Amino acid sequence: MPAHFQTEDEFHSRLDTGLWWKIFGRALRMKRYLVPLFITAVIIAVCDAAFAQITRWVIDGVVRDGASAPFRTYVVVYGVATTVLCVGIWVFIEMAGNLSNRLAHDIRRDCFDQLQALEFAFFDTRPVGWLITRLTSDCDRLARIIAWGFLDIVWGICYVLMIAASLLWMNWRLGLIVIGIVPPLAVISKLFQKKMLLSAREIRKYNSQITAAYNESIQGVRTTKTLVRERDNLGEFQQLSARMLDASVLNARQNALYFPIVATLGSLAAGLALWRGGYLAASDAISLGTLVAFINFAGQFFNPINQLAQRLTEMQGAQAAGERVMGLLATEPRIRDSEAVRDRLAQFRSPDSGIRHRHPDQPALAPDGHPAKIETIEFRNVSFKYDTGPTVLHDFNLTVRAGETIALVGPSGGGKSTIVSLVCRFYEPTGGQILINGVDYRERSLAWLQSQLGIVLQTPHLFKGTVRENIRYGRLDATNAEVEAAARLVNAHEFILQMEQGYDSPVGEGGNRLSTGQRQLVSFARALLARPQLFVMDEATSSIDTETEQLIQRGLETIFAGRISFVIAHRLSTIRRADRILVITKGRIEEAGTHAELLQNRGHYYELYTSQFRREREEAVLEGTG
Amino acid sequence: MFSQFHALWNLMRGHRLRYGLALSCLVAATLLNYFVPLIGSVTIDHAVAGRAVTADTPALAARVLHWLGGADHLRAHLWLAPLAMVLLSAASGLFSYLKGWQASLASDGIARQLKDQLYDHLNHLPARYHDRADTGDLVQRCTSDVETTRQFLAAQVMEIGNALVLGGTALPLLLSLNAPMTLVSFALIIPVIVYSYVYFRQVKHYFKEVDEAEGALTAVIQENLTGIRVVRAFARQDHERAKFAVPNARYRDRSLHLLRLMSWYWSVSDFVAVSQIGLTLVVGAHWIVTGKFTVGLLFAFLAYLSIMLWPLRQMGRILTDLGKTSVALGRIHEILGVAREPEPAAVPAPVRPEALAPITGRLVVRDLHFHHAAGATPSTDGRGALNGVSFEVRPGETLAILGPSGAGKSTLMHLLLRLYDYTDGSIQFDGRELSTLPRKWLRGQVGVVMQEPFLFSKTLRDNVRLGRGDAPDHEIEAAARTASIHETILSFEEGYNTLIGERGITLSGGQRQRVAIARALLKHPPLLILDDAMSAIDAETESLILDALRARRGRATTLVIAHRLSTLAQADRVIVLDHGRIIQTGTHAELAVQDGLYRRLWQIQTSVESQFQAELAVPPAP
Repeated sequence: MPAHFQTEDEFHSRLDTGLWWKIFGRALRMKRYLVPLFITAVIIAVCDAAFAQITRWVIDGVVRDGASAPFRTYVVVYGVATTVLCVGIWVFIEMAGNLSNRLAHDIRRDCFDQLQALEFAFFDTRPVGWLITRLTSDCDRLARIIAWGFLDIVWGICYVLMIAASLLWMNWRLGLIVIGIVPPLAVISKLFQKKMLLSAREIRKYNSQITAAYNESIQGVRTTKTLVRERDNLGEFQQLSARMLDASVLNARQNALYFPIVATLGSLAAGLALWRGGYLAASDAISLGTLVAFINFAGQFFNPINQLAQRLTEMQGAQAAGERVMGLLATEPRIRDSEAVRDRLAQFRSPDSGIRHRHPDQPALAPDGHPAKIETIEFRNVSFKYDTGPTVLHDFNLTVRAGETIALVGPSGGGKSTIVSLVCRFYEPTGGQILINGVDYRERSLAWLQSQLGIVLQTPHLFKGTVRENIRYGRLDATNAEVEAAARLVNAHEFILQMEQGYDSPVGEGGNRLSTGQRQLVSFARALLARPQLFVMDEATSSIDTETEQLIQRGLETIFAGRISFVIAHRLSTIRRADRILVITKGRIEEAGTHAELLQNRGHYYELYTSQFRREREEAVLEGTG
Repeated sequence: MFSQFHALWNLMRGHRLRYGLALSCLVAATLLNYFVPLIGSVTIDHAVAGRAVTADTPALAARVLHWLGGADHLRAHLWLAPLAMVLLSAASGLFSYLKGWQASLASDGIARQLKDQLYDHLNHLPARYHDRADTGDLVQRCTSDVETTRQFLAAQVMEIGNALVLGGTALPLLLSLNAPMTLVSFALIIPVIVYSYVYFRQVKHYFKEVDEAEGALTAVIQENLTGIRVVRAFARQDHERAKFAVPNARYRDRSLHLLRLMSWYWSVSDFVAVSQIGLTLVVGAHWIVTGKFTVGLLFAFLAYLSIMLWPLRQMGRILTDLGKTSVALGRIHEILGVAREPEPAAVPAPVRPEALAPITGRLVVRDLHFHHAAGATPSTDGRGALNGVSFEVRPGETLAILGPSGAGKSTLMHLLLRLYDYTDGSIQFDGRELSTLPRKWLRGQVGVVMQEPFLFSKTLRDNVRLGRGDAPDHEIEAAARTASIHETILSFEEGYNTLIGERGITLSGGQRQRVAIARALLKHPPLLILDDAMSAIDAETESLILDALRARRGRATTLVIAHRLSTLAQADRVIVLDHGRIIQTGTHAELAVQDGLYRRLWQIQTSVESQFQAELAVPPAP
């Protein structure tokens, strides 16, 4: 994983208000939760401030009126305030929770949709783990900050204002003195929150390094043993764990320092209230209850200000996450249907259905109005380069007709996979054109073309689920009989029946309960079930035993018949079967022809052929089948 | 619960003093903090309200007033009260800071110690253990479980301490101030603790449900992204969206369900807590009227309640977390409980490695048996990985081993390194039985390169240097030259300083093998083992490496597992293994004329051309 993906959480000293408004804009759509949340936040702030006033009122009442004080009223008023507060708490947890979870759900859904639409080049530069973090923790985090942050900011501001107003209303001179601690309190809170956020991030960084170190040491344990590296390894690990210890202790000390400092500030404010208020109360300028209320209020500033500082700091810390998620949502897919194609598709689209692969009225036409049968595929002066790096395909020309099988051979990195990816329109040519039946494929529907593909990759990927589900992935409405027929055709039926639950046996994560060869067979069946017009195969070489190899070879005949097939081939049995063989080196066709023609040339193909021949025979001898 | 505390107590060994210190600081901070409201209280009653000190005045309040110079003095110098409050607050804060610092040193120290211990232990566990262990699970235990334990030690232990200190000190303090009021003030505290404990026990599994829903969601995302090529290849985007919508909604709904439970918990427990304050207020106000209580005392009681209520309410939750910690600790101890690789028991006194003479490379293997299933009866049932292998190697000799996969070649190499211990038979280096030699010393004598060598995510230089930590740069480069990797390394932008692995570049299989060969050569081992170590290197480079190896002075004894004839032909002798037995032995010249595996391989060489002629004669299959 390139280094820049790991330094993802830079701290932004400036809040990007535009970005946060944009994210908040999504919450605005959920007024059902946002409006009650706002109202409750205000009500709770009022209640919180009211308790000190009630206390004041009660004390003044009993001091002034003695036994005739209205105790029943006190109980009722206090009870009402408590009830309102607690109902408010219930409501705000409900509202903020709904807002946060629904927001996360929707952002995640939109991100996922977007990922389904983005072109392959997007995934080339972004590791799966990186994307998963965007869709899981980043989405949750943003939604949480928006929902709970909104609550805390509204509540915090209201609460501070209520306290300040109460103080000024009771006695504005004394009030001003007590309010004087707000600025230092705010500054210190912000400062510490930032420091604590940064050191917490430092801890996380070391933690992920420690995780990586464990991983490496477990995977390399035999190497460690043979190199007798146990002690040195431990020494290196201890350096790492010591750094983490230091970071953790630093964070703990910052925490341990912050709270006493603000508590002392609170005492200072309470003390000031007691001192100046005491004089006033002694001279009956204010009541005893007012004095108590002043002292209480002075200690209450901390809570809302701390929350405000924490939320703002969190937003600064999460800004990078926000940018990444919003950036993902705003990315325009570079490979998609053109305006004209979309217009044409729209004519035939019934309101309820999604992608259609057949024209509704004329079965001979694809939904984009062009003929559905692929007669020819032509590369015309195609060149291609990935976003970064040199040109990998130069001025490539090739015409393939229905029923033909093309084998691509040559050294790795020569451009074989690129050619195949271009045919599938996973990438588009950076120069030249690819034509289907003489029409540039950019004028055809992308979904239609890709629904005509049958692909078997070198490392076949299966989804968690049963064997049947995996084969059916090729055509979702296929019947069980059709699924089994496809499996029979590629010789997968026997091994599937031998499994404990037959077609309903789970394949495990990524298909890990099957051997590579079995996975390969299932993916052949899947591709065949799709009834593709275009068959693409990136042949696996070393991971398959000779027996499975023979099973696959027998299935291939059925698959190739009547289709256009592109095969990146290593096995001689596959290569020989092709109608044309292209030797691709450095992005060009070096040699082309049939097997016999190329052998007679005694060129590059001849070399590849003899070394592959030797390798296969050696394998056969060692496996005991030769 | 007692056994859980016991396990924790054991864990704290070596750090108990620090915890003691932290606890003392906590007590000091708590006690000092009590005086702040008390000063407010006496100031209000005696300095501001002008109440005289009577027999009813609590002794402690009178004492505090006395310290402040008495009522009249205080009234005249009212600034004394705030000054004392700030000073006491600051002093309490200082202790609280020290408490936090010491507690963190202790808990993070324990966590670090656990991590180091686990790391070292894993490195010393036998290869057999690692064969079966699941890396993901081990890493999980070493990180998350240690973190759960750490959090408990850092936060919860101090919270429990805090609650105990509060309970233990506040009660006598409040009783001394006013006994009836103390009873009123604690009326609802016990119920709220019980309520939160019961509540969290009840909802505990909902937390797990949310975690599981999140895990399921992540799994679906991961599957989609790793299989994105398959999704596109079959144009299954809509299907995938529908598949994703289910766990996405489920995670949301599970979270909301938990949230609903939490909203009840917080609002109800807040209601009880706030009612407690209200109860104290109203009862206190009533007693003020009857003269049993004062405004200052009411102020003090309300302040104490606000100090105590919230930490005590947390108790229920913390107690339910105890279970989680003990599970985590259990999982950690499962690893630490596995025995390390045993050292030779046959040797009476521990053999001091420096006293051992280096091996010369003379190796005698006699009737060697090995079974992979631990505890299986050894010897002669013929179904082991090795079933009676005997051979000898002279110092400086190169012995090649050939055989189909599963013949026992790698097992033999692992036995020579004591990665596994053989069950029957004997292996001797210079007449010394292998099982009596210390493992680390022995491994230090052997250079080994595996087929899929493991490189560490360090620079290329550091990876080669793993062979011998004190090797100077020029020796590293010499070893790299011998392994034919020097030129390749120089072609990288940062040369020997190029970082490899996750954070750096990815090497091809052949490059990795050559780096590993250089690493092994740097050690100058008397015995060199190449376990199919050149399978990904082209034949030309391979013979370059073999020539360079031969040209080295003081040639090491070399064991080569190989399939390529060019390699086999260069060995002094070849043995052919099958099903854990030696079926052929001899030089290249001898084996090339004997019927068997070796000759069949040799014949492929010559059959290429005839096959080619046949291909040209017959048109290829359609």
